[in-house]
Amino acid sequence: MPYKNHYAFVIDVARCIDCRSCLVACSVENNVPMDHTRIWVHDQGMKGDWPNLSRTFVPYNCMHCDYPPCTEVCVSGATYKDKNSGLVLVDQEACIGCGYCVEACPYGARYIDQKRGVVDKCTACVERLEVGLEPACVATCVGKARLFGDLNDPKSDVSVALSTAKSVTRLDYEYNGTDTDPNIYYLNLPATGTIQSSDPFNQVSQATLPRDPHYTLAEEGWRKVAIPLMAVAMGGAFLVQATFFIKQLVQGEKEFEE
Amino acid sequence: MSHKNIPLPERQRLRQKLYKKHNLANILTHWFNVASWLMLLPTGIAIISSPRLGVTPIWWQEAFRNLFGSDANLIRFHYTIGFIWIFVIFFNIFIGFRKYFVPFAVRSMLLDRDDVEWMKIKPLQMLGLMKHKPLPPQDAYNAGQKIYSYFVVLCTIGIMVSGPVMVFKNLFPPIVKQIAQPVHFVSVFVIVAWLFIHVYMGAVFPEEKEAFFSMFSGKVSAWYARAHHEKWYNEKLREELAWEDQVEREVMEADDIEEKATSLG
Repeated sequence: MPYKNHYAFVIDVARCIDCRSCLVACSVENNVPMDHTRIWVHDQGMKGDWPNLSRTFVPYNCMHCDYPPCTEVCVSGATYKDKNSGLVLVDQEACIGCGYCVEACPYGARYIDQKRGVVDKCTACVERLEVGLEPACVATCVGKARLFGDLNDPKSDVSVALSTAKSVTRLDYEYNGTDTDPNIYYLNLPATGTIQSSDPFNQVSQATLPRDPHYTLAEEGWRKVAIPLMAVAMGGAFLVQATFFIKQLVQGEKEFEE
Repeated sequence: MSHKNIPLPERQRLRQKLYKKHNLANILTHWFNVASWLMLLPTGIAIISSPRLGVTPIWWQEAFRNLFGSDANLIRFHYTIGFIWIFVIFFNIFIGFRKYFVPFAVRSMLLDRDDVEWMKIKPLQMLGLMKHKPLPPQDAYNAGQKIYSYFVVLCTIGIMVSGPVMVFKNLFPPIVKQIAQPVHFVSVFVIVAWLFIHVYMGAVFPEEKEAFFSMFSGKVSAWYARAHHEKWYNEKLREELAWEDQVEREVMEADDIEEKATSLG
């Protein structure tokens, strides 16, 4: 990893009770508008027969992937992977809210704040990290289901939790040359066996799997049609003038009047 | 060309006689446009940093981001200059100098039969065919320049519409902003493709040297006008002759009045 820190979330699914205090903490900390959340908890539903019932809640937020497809499509570089922390952030001064990245994210971790016309997402509370605090969702988690820390530091909470974990799952998206390598490590995520994940690590249920990144028609058309066309047009125009310029240099300039 | 049939003193006389081709409004607007493009094009290219599109080299992106301090500042600079450009171009053409630009636009954009003929012959001549065939006489702007002007006007509108869409980002739905970006890109690079030809023809090509200096002085020689814009030259000649006739008539009328006055007196 070329980044100084390798921040990661470790989420112990067995400890989540769907209280959603992380959603509240995140919304308060980051002024998230009422109709959006940066975090969500997926209810996998009731499993098994009475009295042996189980129910699993999977908390989500941005995976801060090692190779995020969202930053690849951003035209202006308004969303980027921070060079120091390795977090995927949005510079909302530069963002125009076109939503190329919202479509590209395989986890649906981004949304467009239409009121401000920008894209918003989990920042792992960088402003809190800078003063040595944990992200709001982690600090507030009642059951200690959420952990956050630097994987490069072997003594951090996440490193310790991972080294003692029984099962670790990453919702990796690995297909068509895209390999996201997400940085949320789920502990004790039950393997329902409905779908074989492309990641050999584990099997996860369909609802928690990442989707394919969507590339918008405008972006695809731009990349596949407009750029080659413009390259041909500019190359052609350049060649025409270059031909005449070389001819002019070779033949020398003619005097027309005398 | 037929210039060998003209005796040398006549040629020299035509060389010294000047016709006004561009007025100050056009000249200033043209160079304002050049200055704006010189600032907008490099910064605009620097903004496009998506590795999927792969348009701009990394050193270019980095250089401009470092120059302006950040991504957002680079974008702010780009659209601030852009708005000044939109305002001045719009103001000059539709409000400030409209009495210069409206006749200019009409004269430089309408295609006639000779222009269509020119467009058939000229591309072939550039490929080295049909060298013997003379080009039809051209107006103040030749057919190539007229076609160029259509592209420039359309793409300029494209840029001026798609640019502000991306700046006033909270006013437009995402799909509009998604489409505005390739529209902005295509509009710019269609003009840039033509610019290679435009700059070469205007500033480097030896036969058109006078055209370059006329963009500062506003004047071209009668010799150049006759060789490249014969229709316009003939029009100028007709205007001159009509003016001479009128002056002659007025002088004669004045003489008549004088004669009558003396005979009466």
